[in-house]
Amino acid sequence: MVQPISPPNPGRRKFLSLITGLMASVGAVFLAVPFLSAFKPSARAEAAGAPVQVDISSLVPGQMKIVEWRGKPIFVVKMAENTVKLLSSNLNRLADPNGEDSNQPDYVKNQIRSRKEGVAVITGVCTHLGCSPKYYPETGSVAFDSDWQGGFFCPCHGSKFDMVGRVYAGVPAPTNMDVPPHYFPKDNLLVIGLDGVS
Amino acid sequence: MLQWINSRFPITDLVERHLSKYPAPTNLNFWYLFGFLLIIVLVMQILTGLWLMMNYTNTAEEAFSSVEYIMRDVEYGWLLRYLHAAGASAFFVLIYLHMFRGMMYGSYQKPRELIWLGGWVTYVLLCAEGFTGYVLPWGQMSFWAAQVIISLLGSIPLVGEDLATWVRGDYLISGITLSRLFAFHVVLLPIMLIAVVFFHILALHEIGSNNPDGIDIKKHVDEDGVPLDSKPFYPYDITHDVYALGVFLLFFCAIVFFFPGGGGYILETVNFEPANPLSTPEHIVPSWYYTPYYAMLRAVDFSLFGLTAKFLGFVTMAAGIAIFAALPWLDRSPVKSIRYKGIYSKIFLTGFVISFFVLGYLGLVPPTEIKNILAKVFTIIYFSYFLLMPIYTRIEKCKPVPERVPA
Amino acid sequence: MKSFLILLLIFTFNIFGADEFNCGTIECDEFKVNISNNADLQNGLSIYMNYCYGCHSLQYSRYKRVAEDLEIPIDLYVDNLIYDGSKPGELMKISLTKDDAVNWLGAYPPDLTLEARVRSPEWIYTYLRSYYSDSSRPYGVNNLVYKNVSMPHVLEDLQSSMTENEYNETISNLTNFLVYVSDPSSRERKQMGVYVLLFLLLFTSFAFLLYREYKKELK
Repeated sequence: MVQPISPPNPGRRKFLSLITGLMASVGAVFLAVPFLSAFKPSARAEAAGAPVQVDISSLVPGQMKIVEWRGKPIFVVKMAENTVKLLSSNLNRLADPNGEDSNQPDYVKNQIRSRKEGVAVITGVCTHLGCSPKYYPETGSVAFDSDWQGGFFCPCHGSKFDMVGRVYAGVPAPTNMDVPPHYFPKDNLLVIGLDGVS
Repeated sequence: MLQWINSRFPITDLVERHLSKYPAPTNLNFWYLFGFLLIIVLVMQILTGLWLMMNYTNTAEEAFSSVEYIMRDVEYGWLLRYLHAAGASAFFVLIYLHMFRGMMYGSYQKPRELIWLGGWVTYVLLCAEGFTGYVLPWGQMSFWAAQVIISLLGSIPLVGEDLATWVRGDYLISGITLSRLFAFHVVLLPIMLIAVVFFHILALHEIGSNNPDGIDIKKHVDEDGVPLDSKPFYPYDITHDVYALGVFLLFFCAIVFFFPGGGGYILETVNFEPANPLSTPEHIVPSWYYTPYYAMLRAVDFSLFGLTAKFLGFVTMAAGIAIFAALPWLDRSPVKSIRYKGIYSKIFLTGFVISFFVLGYLGLVPPTEIKNILAKVFTIIYFSYFLLMPIYTRIEKCKPVPERVPA
Repeated sequence: MKSFLILLLIFTFNIFGADEFNCGTIECDEFKVNISNNADLQNGLSIYMNYCYGCHSLQYSRYKRVAEDLEIPIDLYVDNLIYDGSKPGELMKISLTKDDAVNWLGAYPPDLTLEARVRSPEWIYTYLRSYYSDSSRPYGVNNLVYKNVSMPHVLEDLQSSMTENEYNETISNLTNFLVYVSDPSSRERKQMGVYVLLFLLLFTSFAFLLYREYKKELK
């Protein structure tokens, strides 16, 4: 059998092996790009997940509307005036009143956790195990709380949230409910899915 | 670590035997590159096919638009599809060259009959794979090609019509037919293909490669039992293969990126129109890689012994593909390679190549009277290469084959 | 052998049967595809949306994709070219139903997303410039490329308000737009192709040199 002999110029052979191997590896990486990119949401998925417009002029104070965006329920609540006031009086019972550990756009990291006073926009998914909490707007004594200030109660494992989705202390849910990107291009028009400029 | 594995599964030995230290004859030429390229194309077809399958819908209503969805909405979907479509044509170009190499150098002869048969089964499976894949986009050509091919089964005496209906699963080509062809294309045929290719390579590595001179290099071995006229696959053959891969990819990518439709030979223009069972396109033409056999089918326009022309045409076409399998037993020559065979072998092989190309051309164009006569003549030339082989290989005068590979 | 060569010659010259024209009853006019100019494609798009889109959908294409590819600001595009309040991400489907079309027009106008691939750019370009008056037809027009066509000459007003050159230019833009929309990735593809081939050329050169290094030993 013929066997490789040491060539007169071993450096040349070494260099050529190295560069050919290197270029083959680079080529393989390039080749992976289309295969990996094809896994991204397609234009169809993007279109299905496009921003949603909601007309909120018909909502009466205390009423909630559920809107679907990217397959999740989005709670849109028009709060009554007294409920808005309650938002700042109940802070001691909340686990994360300022949203330090929770998911929300910066423009709702404020006292009332809303972009527009009196309108709460929340992703209606419990941060514990993904159930969708129920809306309990009434105040006073309810079955699961003797001094309820209005908000959401998760039927799965009893997590409690206030009107703007902030979680109560001492319940299974670790963080506040998320707030999706949203803005109000007009007074009574809400767009969910875009940060925009209100 | 490697030792731990080796004492349980001899991986080093396996790699050395089949790859790095595989003793390949020293006189291999460029005809010996196509096997490697075929494996690369097989891997590429499997990968791109897998990705296409993630986005394709196998129903009559959705198939066509799901292909356009891949082309437009899926990121780089167009690239995956063009690669897969051009890959199908590349597959056939390479396998025809690979087969021709075997015919030229007598690689089918004893003791490589099973290797040849494995390759032949691969080719038949590939034909089936090409046909089933062609139907999936559910354009006009897809539909009518399926219609024509499956109707051919209807020509079989007595059971034909029932058989065609059974294959279609319906009284016409429909979504039901599409679904089953899809299942064949993406599951059954690829599994068989991979299994047969695996066998083909394993058998080759046990027996050893033939070479352009048809010399049995195992006659002269060194003290380790390795043929003297051989070289290790690494680095000699692998560097040759990688270079060949570069050249192949240059051609292939030029087509994929600049002529993805291949002038209608890779993606037929008529197939950009959704399938319509009520209107047949003006010219129905199969993919270029089947046209030699399609020309044979059309050449048989006479009935014989009470058998219809349609059935005889179908039989001729099938025989044109099947007859390759008989080569090892038709060749009675004492030598393998065309280099040492006599003049008749050279004439008949040339005749075969010309008839393959002429038939391929005739299958592409609309038939006329003169073309039909030509198709008959060249069908006869095609078959005479095979059927007369036992005679001409026996009577011709061969040159003596050298003992060792000439320097 | 000689007669064989003659036969070979006969059918090489006979490849495209001389008895057929490639544009219906006439030969196609010459047309050079150019989809690199966005202004032309934008003009083609606006002609399409104004004159063709009422009946001919582009159902595999999305509004947004066209806007992005042709560099049209999305707000402008939504205000001027989306008539039915569709969202930009939606497919360009039309509201004409099959039944209505058959009742009113006698046939369902085909989707034209892939028309430039099914026919050819030359065909479209020639077809739209080959209407002539023919009082025996329901709309009083006929076409040299598409005999007894059922589509009226919707661009008639446009044609009569323009010089011949202007009209040719307009049809050229429209044809180029249809070529673009039949394969929207083609511009990106060709750009990418140049880099791919350059890379492969370099790779193959090194692979060749490496191959020759070892090949030398075998001689």
